[in-house]
Amino acid sequence: MANNQARGAKVGVVANPAAGRDIRRLVAQASVFPIAEKRNMMTRAFSALGTTGVEEVLLMPDGSGLSDRIQRALKLPLPEGQTWPKISFIDFEPEDSPADTLRAVKRMVEQGVGAIIVLGGDGTNRLVARAAGNVPLVSLSTGTNNVFPVMREATIAGLAAGLVATGQVDVAEACYRNKLLRLEVNGTPSDLALVDLCISDELFVGSKALWRAEGLDQLFVSFAEADAIGLSSIAGLIRPVSRRAPFGLWFDLCAPVQAARVVTAPIAPGIVVDVGIEAVNSFALGEAVLVRLGRGVVALDGEREVEFSPADQVVVRLAEDGPLSIDIERTMMLAAQHGLFVRNTPVARGAGVRTAQGG
Amino acid sequence: MQLSKADLLKAYRMMKTIREFEERLHVEFATGEIPGFVHLYAGEEASATGFCMHLDGRDKIASTHRGHGHSIGKGCDVDAMMAEIYGKKSGLCGGKGGSMHIADLDKGMLGANGIVGGGPPLICGAGLAAKVLKTGGVAIAFVGDGAFNQGTTAESLNLASVWRLPCLFVVENNGYAEATSSKYSVSCDDFTDRAAAYSMPGIAVDGHDFFAVYEAAGEAIKRARSGGGPSLIEVKLNRYYGHFEGDAQTYRGVDEVKNIRATKDCLVLFRRRVEGAKLLDASELNKIDADVMAQIENAVKKAKAAPKPTAADLMTDVYVSY
Repeated sequence: MANNQARGAKVGVVANPAAGRDIRRLVAQASVFPIAEKRNMMTRAFSALGTTGVEEVLLMPDGSGLSDRIQRALKLPLPEGQTWPKISFIDFEPEDSPADTLRAVKRMVEQGVGAIIVLGGDGTNRLVARAAGNVPLVSLSTGTNNVFPVMREATIAGLAAGLVATGQVDVAEACYRNKLLRLEVNGTPSDLALVDLCISDELFVGSKALWRAEGLDQLFVSFAEADAIGLSSIAGLIRPVSRRAPFGLWFDLCAPVQAARVVTAPIAPGIVVDVGIEAVNSFALGEAVLVRLGRGVVALDGEREVEFSPADQVVVRLAEDGPLSIDIERTMMLAAQHGLFVRNTPVARGAGVRTAQGG
Repeated sequence: MQLSKADLLKAYRMMKTIREFEERLHVEFATGEIPGFVHLYAGEEASATGFCMHLDGRDKIASTHRGHGHSIGKGCDVDAMMAEIYGKKSGLCGGKGGSMHIADLDKGMLGANGIVGGGPPLICGAGLAAKVLKTGGVAIAFVGDGAFNQGTTAESLNLASVWRLPCLFVVENNGYAEATSSKYSVSCDDFTDRAAAYSMPGIAVDGHDFFAVYEAAGEAIKRARSGGGPSLIEVKLNRYYGHFEGDAQTYRGVDEVKNIRATKDCLVLFRRRVEGAKLLDASELNKIDADVMAQIENAVKKAKAAPKPTAADLMTDVYVSY
């Protein structure tokens, strides 16, 4: 394909080695995503990025073997017919913690990547969103509660990211802006969620994942799809809200036995349970809601992250300045409309084509 | 996950006891008074504590070379443990086991083990007994990242799964099998990837965070007790000292341990959490610190003063009759 616009184009790839490893494999039947498959997804994306003319791919280092696997793959001859961009690891010593993702994305943005491919769940994307600024994301699902990222073939995701990064498809046409939920503790920005923010009366962050319906007290969603998995399904099955609608929702929750309305929702893989609904409220962009519980934890996109006590004032705000996402389907449709993958050859029409009659 | 104030105090005391026991042994071993080898558990306390807090008299554990933390967690007597390590007659095994063979069957502690990967087959036996006798007990094999590559561990994972035994395989991955990095020596990219091959759930948990370990352990134990079968849990943690006391640790980074102590000390992290949330007062925790210091000091004094086994003890305890 034509790739003369591609000079110097870079794409970042963030693959969270820890995604899909949490306690939900024990308490439910959450999917297992082997590191070997994450590596394969990455190499398929490299091939696609090479096709679109991306010159360099920047990778996050990690201590869990994923980058080792990529390093080993780089020493082998490339699969026939593939051209990979130059593969570079961002140079820092990984801590094997979420801080690695923030650090890597920050460096990718500084080095001018035109897109970032994210392999992970909602939790991974939440971290990337904190540091990505206006760099568009292609988010592929390898986590547990995957609402924000999509389940797509990595080759196609790589093509879409490459088309946008090289300017062959216009960012403004290919991308959409996400909403997000900002968490403020005692007047200071604390963290964010892309899909759902839930308040629970659990005392501890513990093993992070939130899969019990007991003790859920309030739920805030930036969007809610009826076919979602995770806490946002509670909202999606009552009042679906699209990713692009200029509002979100928030709910007061209670035990099913005390509720006038009960929703049966898939709050985690394999866990479909009753949740009591006390009140449903529309959540306007810019609106701030004070959390009513005195002591508990805040779960961001399904993971307990912040413990708070009666001394803390916890506020949730719906914001419109979330990350940019590349719409894979729309990007590929635009590429097709512009004929980006089609070229004319000197071979005359019909010549060399077998027909049923001609043989 | 709910933890009462009494639970929190108990967890802190257990972790602190392990820490002080090990820090003191680090000092005492250097004097040359302790026979044999010791492998210290300092830095890994949240793992033993997070699991053992859920256990009772029905349950069995098998440990590793690095067995003091598990022993304290399972309720072994600290004085008798110290005496055992000093090779004294008042020791937990009459002074004949020492650090690497410390055991207390009455407490369900089936022993530290001189064999890398020796624990998992024992745990399959203990799990089978619990299942057949319907005691409701569970059996936990603590293994390291080195033992995770041993055939005995592989066979035990298979057997536990085939017989759906109430067993847990807890891989305490401190990054090094003796001096060999697990990043080099473990063929799978992620330890939990192996669980699927044995048809059991596998999860990873941050071993510096007591609360994370405690919750994951609770769910795995609950699952095993209710007949759900075995599970594999990788606990990612760090050891503060060498493989054994005297290990020059030339395979570790210059400030590696210093950084770990500064940022990932499970006791410091625990204190910060419970004090910050006003669940416990600093004074309550300080009192535990003082109690534990006195307890360990006393244990060392008693161990040093205790008599050694005599020649007449040589032929006792050689065979066990069942």
